Amino acid sequence: MGDPILEVKNISKTLGGKLILNDVSLSLNKGDLKVLIGPSGGGKSTLLQCINFLHYPDAGDVLLEGFSAREMGRRNISAFRQEIGMIFQDFNLFDHLTAENNVAVALRKVKKQPKKAALERAKIELARVGLADKGGLYPAQLSGGQKQRVSIARALAMDPKVMLLDEPTSALDPELIGEVLKVIADLSESGMTMLMATHQIGFARHLTTEVIFMEAGRITEAGPPAELLNPDKRSRAADFCAKLSELMGSN
Amino acid sequence: MNSLSTLSLSSFFSTGPFTWDTVTFFLGGMGLTCLLIIGALSLGLVLGLAMASFQVYGPRWSGLLVSLYVWFFRGVPILVLMFLFYFGLASQLESLIQSWLRSGLPAPLKSLLRFCFGARGSVSPFACAVLVLGLCSAAYQSQIFRGAMKSIPSGQFMAAKALGMSSFQAVRVIILPQVLRISIPAWSNEYSILLKDSGIAFVIGTMETMARFKAVASSTYYYLSMYILAGLAYFVITWIGVRLLLALYDRVRVPGLAEVQSADIL
Amino acid sequence: MFRKLIVIFALAMVLSVPALAQDQNKVYINGIDANFPPFAYVGPDGKPTGFDVDALDWIAKDMGFMVEHRPMEWSGIVASLKAHKIDMIASGLSLTPERATQINFSEPYWTIKQVVVVPKNSALTLEKALTTGLKIGVQAGTSDAKAMADTNGKNGREYELVEYPNSALAAQDVVNGNIAAAVMNDAPAADAAGKIAVKIIGEAGIPNEVFAVGVAKDDPDTLKMINEGLAKIMADPYWQELIDKYKPGEAH
Repeated sequence: MGDPILEVKNISKTLGGKLILNDVSLSLNKGDLKVLIGPSGGGKSTLLQCINFLHYPDAGDVLLEGFSAREMGRRNISAFRQEIGMIFQDFNLFDHLTAENNVAVALRKVKKQPKKAALERAKIELARVGLADKGGLYPAQLSGGQKQRVSIARALAMDPKVMLLDEPTSALDPELIGEVLKVIADLSESGMTMLMATHQIGFARHLTTEVIFMEAGRITEAGPPAELLNPDKRSRAADFCAKLSELMGSN
Repeated sequence: MNSLSTLSLSSFFSTGPFTWDTVTFFLGGMGLTCLLIIGALSLGLVLGLAMASFQVYGPRWSGLLVSLYVWFFRGVPILVLMFLFYFGLASQLESLIQSWLRSGLPAPLKSLLRFCFGARGSVSPFACAVLVLGLCSAAYQSQIFRGAMKSIPSGQFMAAKALGMSSFQAVRVIILPQVLRISIPAWSNEYSILLKDSGIAFVIGTMETMARFKAVASSTYYYLSMYILAGLAYFVITWIGVRLLLALYDRVRVPGLAEVQSADIL
Repeated sequence: MFRKLIVIFALAMVLSVPALAQDQNKVYINGIDANFPPFAYVGPDGKPTGFDVDALDWIAKDMGFMVEHRPMEWSGIVASLKAHKIDMIASGLSLTPERATQINFSEPYWTIKQVVVVPKNSALTLEKALTTGLKIGVQAGTSDAKAMADTNGKNGREYELVEYPNSALAAQDVVNGNIAAAVMNDAPAADAAGKIAVKIIGEAGIPNEVFAVGVAKDDPDTLKMINEGLAKIMADPYWQELIDKYKPGEAH
């Protein structure tokens, strides 16, 4: 399949005196959908935020299509971040802007596109996530699922090479999870490279190329879902998923 | 003439030493006060926003500097600052401006300096008052904006950066528009407080509203009526300003935008 | 939209400053007490006026320079002169040894007595006013205030001094009854007696003073100019006109 599009090399990070990430490495090929699972506090969010250097890792590097983030330096890191889309658990929409403007704002300010072109693109992306008629609404007027879909549209508008999703459905009511998962599935099918931290095991099982289990800042197990999540195999991952399924009801 | 007669309308309007010139004199004072306030508030706004940004989003050492600034200007009385600045620092500032005017600065900058400070580079009492009041107001305004900034979920800042915006851009495009909107109620408080403080400008020679009413009161002994009028004058300026701010607040309101402790103003 | 507002504000700030910046040509600035009738005060029409103001205007016209009268708080006026914020003080400024160490004085142009002012219908005698521990008002920062403080407790004098920003307020408070009497220069006392219900009952027993124009120590040119002007005006009939107009020292 060629060189990996995203390489995470030996990332370590200490926050507030605690070692959150301990020598973590992984890689993504183009079109992969890989899933990060594991107990809370295991470092999944921090890892994702280190990949686009929202947090600067203490050690290690991230290579996007061969370009090293470290070599870009602090000044140019925003260029690096433009190529990586990020979806947050709490949506993090800009409250003072309409859905359309949420999607268009980065196009105007970062890519310096003219207002009209940016809005056109915004409308296209909103239509892609099924929100064509909601462009003029403010985040406060949208449901959780709609907000998350807007944030996906916002990330997509920047034409990222890779998408990082940090528990995108964890803050949603159960009946709204489906609409977001559908968008993510569609994205994956259209070839987007994605790394997603999630508790949605059922979803993961069918779509991912690899399941990565993280615990206490280290990747302890990784492998295709059939192997890792096979209840017959005695793996931490499988145990974890079984417990999750119990809590959330079978999926 | 006892104090009772000073209250009666007839003695006020018909005889007595008052003329239309008196009215224009007072209106002039109110105009001066308004200019004083506008200048000081804008200076405070620009500085206050910058300082709040540094406190919340900047490196730690900058936040420390801002804290020092705020402590200083909250602790030292404005009167002392006025004297210190006008009789002390102003002359240093003047020498500085004069040396700038003589040096090789680009022409437009020089004309700006001359425009503000006159050909001699002198700091007028009015300019000094605007500066001191502005610097003080900046201290208080920075804390208003800081509170507003902290009430905006930090995730939005992260999302902005994740999209490729620099910290500066993120603050300007995402944070500031929200901060300004939600700060309006608290800011209108600062407006009315600064208005009362502006009377202190008289100690360095600016004949603003309070000074003018006092002067006429002393020369005519119509103390009670003059002071009532003065109170009315300040009330009117306060009322108009706050009404305008509230109208602005309504216009820029966005559904669902987090609201900071708003002082419920009528 | 907000950016526009901020720009407007910034512009307003910058533009409002020069609106009252100082003049480009040399205008001599005379710092005056805003509340010291009849020598210097602000009339109900808002214009600085008074004996000293008119005299200085005459001198300026005669000798060919421009003068601007700037009312300010009395307590800061000497500091203003020393800092060259103003060029002179022609505003009923008393010549005292302490002040002479800080600034220069012109030739004296008026002698002033310090008098005691009481309510019009009061039966207070001069002796009672000064020796029975009553509250007496003075203008803060003046030489008579200092003289009153210095002589308190000596030679049987006994009173409690209350300070006021200006003598007019002190006179007003006599009417209000908050103080028993006030001590001030005879000219503002007469002015007060003409306007409100007070009367002068005699001299306050502190040394007479002279008024002179104050000039900064490092400004000999202005001093020379003022002295020339004073000599001229005091020899001119206009001087008597001014005295008749303002009647400093007499109740009117």
